[in-house]
Amino acid sequence: MSVPLLALAGLVRRYQADRPAVIDGLDFTLAAGEWIAIMGESGVGKSTLLNVIAGLDRADAGAVRVDGVELAALDDDALTLLRRQSMGFVFQAFHVLPYLSVGRNVALPLALNGVPEREIRPRVAAMLVDVGLEGMFERLPRELSGGELQRVAIARALVHRPRLVLADEPTGNLDPKSAAQVLALLGRAVRAHGGGGLLITHSRAAAASADRAYEFDGRTLVPLTVP
Amino acid sequence: MRPAASITTALAVFAAQLRDRPLRLVVSVAAIAVGIALAAAVHLINASALAEFGRATRELSGTADLAVRGTKAGFEESLYVRLASRPGVRVASPVLLREAALVAGGTLPIEGVDPLLAAALRPELYGELAGLYVALLAPDALVLSASAARDLKLVRGDWLSLRVGGLERRLQIVAVLPAEATARRMGLMDISSAQWLTGSVGLLSRIDLRLAPGLDAARYAAELQLPAGVDAMTPALEQARAGNLTRAYRVNLDMLALVALLTGAFLVYATQALAVMRRRRQLALLRALGVRRGELRLAVLVEGAAVGAVGGVLGTALGWLIARLVLSLQGGDLGAGLLQTATTRVATPPLALALFIALGIVVAVAGAWLPARRAAEVAPARALKAGDEEAPAAVRDRLVLASVLLTLGAGCAFVPPLYGLPLGGYASIACLLAGAVLLVPAFVAATLAHLPTPRSPLLALLLARLRNSIAQSAVSLAAIVVSFSLMVAMAIMVHSFRDSFERWLGAVLPADIYLRVSPAADTFDLSTAAAATLAAVPGVARIELRRTTQLSLAPAQPPVMLIARALPRSGDSLPLVGYPVATDPTLPVAFVSEALRDLYGVQPGGVLELPIAGRAVRFGVAGLWRDYARSTGSVVVDLASWERLTGERRYTEASVWLAPRAAAESVRTAIEARLQGGDALQVIAAGALKQRALAAFDRAFAITYALEAVAVGIGLLGVVLAFAVQALARRAEFGMLRHIGLRRGQVLRMLAGEGAFLAAVGVGYGLLVGLLLSVVLVYVVNRQSFHWTLDYIVPVGQLALVALVLVATAALTAGISGRVATSGAVVRAVREDW
Amino acid sequence: MRALGWLLAAWLLAAAASAGYPVVQPGVTVVLPQDSGSHPDFRTEWWYVTGWLSTAAGQPLGFQVTFFRTRPTLARDNPSAFASGQLLIAHAALSDPRRGRLWHDQRIARVGFGLAEAAVGRTDLHLRDWTLAAGDGAFTAKVAAEDFELALTLEPRQPPLLNGRGGYSQKGPAAASASYYYSLPGLAVHGQVVRGGVAEAVTGSAWLDHEWSSAALDAASVGWDWVGLNLDDGGALMAFRIRDAQGAVRWAGGSWRRADGQVQSLAPAAVVFTPGRRWRSPRTGIAYPVEWQLEAAGMSLALTPLFDDQESDSRLSSGAIYWEGAVEARRAGQRVGRGYLELTGYGERLQLR
Repeated sequence: MSVPLLALAGLVRRYQADRPAVIDGLDFTLAAGEWIAIMGESGVGKSTLLNVIAGLDRADAGAVRVDGVELAALDDDALTLLRRQSMGFVFQAFHVLPYLSVGRNVALPLALNGVPEREIRPRVAAMLVDVGLEGMFERLPRELSGGELQRVAIARALVHRPRLVLADEPTGNLDPKSAAQVLALLGRAVRAHGGGGLLITHSRAAAASADRAYEFDGRTLVPLTVP
Repeated sequence: MRPAASITTALAVFAAQLRDRPLRLVVSVAAIAVGIALAAAVHLINASALAEFGRATRELSGTADLAVRGTKAGFEESLYVRLASRPGVRVASPVLLREAALVAGGTLPIEGVDPLLAAALRPELYGELAGLYVALLAPDALVLSASAARDLKLVRGDWLSLRVGGLERRLQIVAVLPAEATARRMGLMDISSAQWLTGSVGLLSRIDLRLAPGLDAARYAAELQLPAGVDAMTPALEQARAGNLTRAYRVNLDMLALVALLTGAFLVYATQALAVMRRRRQLALLRALGVRRGELRLAVLVEGAAVGAVGGVLGTALGWLIARLVLSLQGGDLGAGLLQTATTRVATPPLALALFIALGIVVAVAGAWLPARRAAEVAPARALKAGDEEAPAAVRDRLVLASVLLTLGAGCAFVPPLYGLPLGGYASIACLLAGAVLLVPAFVAATLAHLPTPRSPLLALLLARLRNSIAQSAVSLAAIVVSFSLMVAMAIMVHSFRDSFERWLGAVLPADIYLRVSPAADTFDLSTAAAATLAAVPGVARIELRRTTQLSLAPAQPPVMLIARALPRSGDSLPLVGYPVATDPTLPVAFVSEALRDLYGVQPGGVLELPIAGRAVRFGVAGLWRDYARSTGSVVVDLASWERLTGERRYTEASVWLAPRAAAESVRTAIEARLQGGDALQVIAAGALKQRALAAFDRAFAITYALEAVAVGIGLLGVVLAFAVQALARRAEFGMLRHIGLRRGQVLRMLAGEGAFLAAVGVGYGLLVGLLLSVVLVYVVNRQSFHWTLDYIVPVGQLALVALVLVATAALTAGISGRVATSGAVVRAVREDW
Repeated sequence: MRALGWLLAAWLLAAAASAGYPVVQPGVTVVLPQDSGSHPDFRTEWWYVTGWLSTAAGQPLGFQVTFFRTRPTLARDNPSAFASGQLLIAHAALSDPRRGRLWHDQRIARVGFGLAEAAVGRTDLHLRDWTLAAGDGAFTAKVAAEDFELALTLEPRQPPLLNGRGGYSQKGPAAASASYYYSLPGLAVHGQVVRGGVAEAVTGSAWLDHEWSSAALDAASVGWDWVGLNLDDGGALMAFRIRDAQGAVRWAGGSWRRADGQVQSLAPAAVVFTPGRRWRSPRTGIAYPVEWQLEAAGMSLALTPLFDDQESDSRLSSGAIYWEGAVEARRAGQRVGRGYLELTGYGERLQLR
């Protein structure tokens, strides 16, 4: 078996020494090409988990390996580089820069990774087609609806073909119809670009769009049977 | 919701947010407070100095209806006899004013009065003396004011030694006046003793008159037929004359203080505008909950007013404290040496203080006006929608208004002075500045448009952001443009002045050593005999004698200085403006200063009448000379003509040229030793004299610099604030950038770059505007205020340095505010629904 | 013995010793008219006119015009014209029963410049436009005060009365406590009085005192009572007494000239003042005995004031408060004369500043 895309071993994260750990000895692996959903009660530590995986938060014990690379061994610059090259993020609040056009927003990761400008444009255009925003390269974010903005965010998360996509409640701000469209798109896109990903969500419907779903209780990820 | 309830609700929401983020409130209040403090301090200092002047004037003349005054030398006492026996005069009180040199060093103003007559006019002060009448008749009896006694550490019964004409005289303190009698530092003597002691027998300095009831003092004054050089003034007129002397200077300072306040207003505008942008959601929510447009506007204005009230109160209190401090350190003229008062009391006019608090509110409300309108314009549906961002406001097309203002400003520069003040110049500066501020967005937009798209994604991001936020940037830039351009203008003016002054000093001080009978001491005269002694001092090659004296040419104007010195008809050796002109060969020639020309309308080629030795003497005006020492006017005549007209052979100054290889310092001490003038005679080497003059100049402008620095500081504070607020507002943006792979250092560099760029644009633009304003300052305001011309010089190095410091500071503070915004909370930031 | 004069003297000279000034000596006789002028070497000197006037409507008025000269210092070497070393003070008062109190005004100036002068050898005093001068057989007195004016001609109808011994008038137990003192009683007055801008012709009779000295009062003397009466029969009576701090009589004296011209100098024992009704000043709170019984030269006279409030308050200039007013003298209920009464030292110890 090849190296898993993501491997968590004995992961512990506690915020205060005298309080129970938010994540308490979690073991988990994610293979490349897997798109799974993680559900759980509010405050159970789902977002903490995501941040620790992204290298934005440090584990107190245990290991996080992305493509076999131990995150604890990396400094902030190396972590930043890892995120820049290998990860993509989708947020509940979209975070599309209002002063950049749709295309330039999507192009950000490519520009940051030093992709030449002449390559950027066709890749972004293709990406926009993928997320159903064909021809909207020059539009400004304020002209878009919420669902469209989240598509821009998804395009930005995937345009540089990251290995790992991390989505935190991407449909939290969307109506059910837009949400369904976005989820479908997200799953399809993650798989299409050959990476894997975690989808953190409250919604069973959203969880159902993933390959598998887990319930997180702080210690273990319990497989859920999605109806 | 009822209006009151809805406004209260809106305010409660604002207040909650302010509690959450107090920085904005603190900065707004501070900006208003600093502006008000400056304006209040300058105003209070001026008011205190003038009040002290008024007090001194009233103390001098008491309840007199008229004060008949001559110049410093005084006038014949026969005038007293004539006035005292005139019908209509109830009381005529003769006064002799002299400065006596103290053996222990320093001088003491001596006032000689007839205590019984003076007491009739001012019982509070002289009533005490009347009781000491007999004791005062002793020729060595002296009464000290409380402040003089404190200063000299003398009590009743002590002796005080004075130097009079090279001799020591001992006076006994027969009494010390109570402190409430007068605040002045002075000694009082019987007039007969004062005349005798100071060698002024037969002379008086002033006569205070109480007239019979029902007589019109001004009309009566006109009928007095006073000799030339003596005038009669009502106390009100006398006070006005003192005010005239310093008015231009005071107005200049007031204007500077207002500039600081104006900058503060810009800052309030900036903070409020940013706050409104930042609170779009809140405002929209309030609108959605049923707060009407007008009510929302009112709420924002009320918030501004509250900021203004707090800032106004704090600023007024601070200003009062500053005024107190400055007065105790520098005196009422801020070190300019214009007002010779010993004031340490701060006038505390309740009305003025209330006005300053009100001014704070007005300024803050004015600053909140536009933001309040924008707040009311928020469309609730749009703003509440997730992901909505503030639409980039289009750069409003204000070109028409701006060009009207600029044209108006240019026109105002050509308006002649009104009431002796360069009001046109000030209006011109205000119009030019306003026009320039309106053009800030256009200038920023044009600059950005001309920049090529950079290859670096970071720079591209930076530029994109800047292009998108021109309106916001322009707001924060306006404050820095206003303050920096004024600083540039002021620096150019002062530098031009200083440079011209320095060269002028070189021209008017060609000799090696200068002797001057202290202007403060009336008890030593440089006689012909003393001049001969001087010429015989080894090492002295040549001496030139001078006589300076004050002449009064018009009752309401301060006296002009007459300088009698060896002077060819061509005016050679004077720093002339233009060329000498031919005059009536039968008349002696006079060269007038630019101030004299402006104030009395005397033109070269014309005839000037001067009151000399009690009669009016006609002089041909042969030319104009530049005199930076006396803004109230001066005239130079030939010493031989003066001696012929007055028969006097007494001099006040002497210039000494050294023989080759003579050492200046040893000759200087030799002169001091030979002449025995004590403190009454100053012997100064030319170099030291120049240095002293320049030091005095720098002191006079120190307050100007200080005010300007504060204004620039406020402007900078505005920029810093704008960055801080925006950085906080953009936390989520930074968080996202960090997620997608920007290092923290890159984010900070981007922010610092934004700061540096904006500051550079503001400073560059401010420099351009400042150059424009400096032309108005140098050629209009300065010219009309002080009546002299300057050579225009730009202190390039100094300005470059300040500009650099400003840009660096802006970059640094932007970086620091970014550090705060990106610290730790990256994770939380992206979750924030902002 | 005149209040303002003495008070000013006391005020001005409080601290100064009299050494160096001429001394008043017994045996020296006053010689007129030479002595009617100023004696500038002496420390103090005054010319004091008091009298009764009657308006055309028959309204009685009292008046007083004083010129006081003092030489407060001996120094004479100062060349300044302001250093004359002489001071001239003028005081004028009008007792107006309709007003119920005095009209009064004063002036003070150093002698010199022709603005304030006291001539030597003849009575000629002026302080700016206030004058008292001997002219052709009569004196003229002119005073233009703030709210009243006097312009009077005073004609002597009687010879001068030299008080004491030939004008040497002793004022205390020591021979040196004395002054040169003569009076001109029975002056016939006519002229004009202006009150509040209204001019009226007046006639009446007056009394002029001229007195000079260098050290008249000794230190124990704190107050005095003085009266000068033009008697209706053509005689004249002057009496005074000097009190110490306890109110005891320290010295007394006077002169009586009968209608026939015979002069009697009164010894201390021959003069007895007995205070009667007191009047308390509402302004100063001082109680003055305004009615008296006077025993002098064998006469017993009741003195009653023209009206009570004839208090003079010159605290602003000299610090002196005293009572000086017109009085009538009665004997057995019959009026026998009119004149002026002067009372000093009834406040706290004299307010000398």
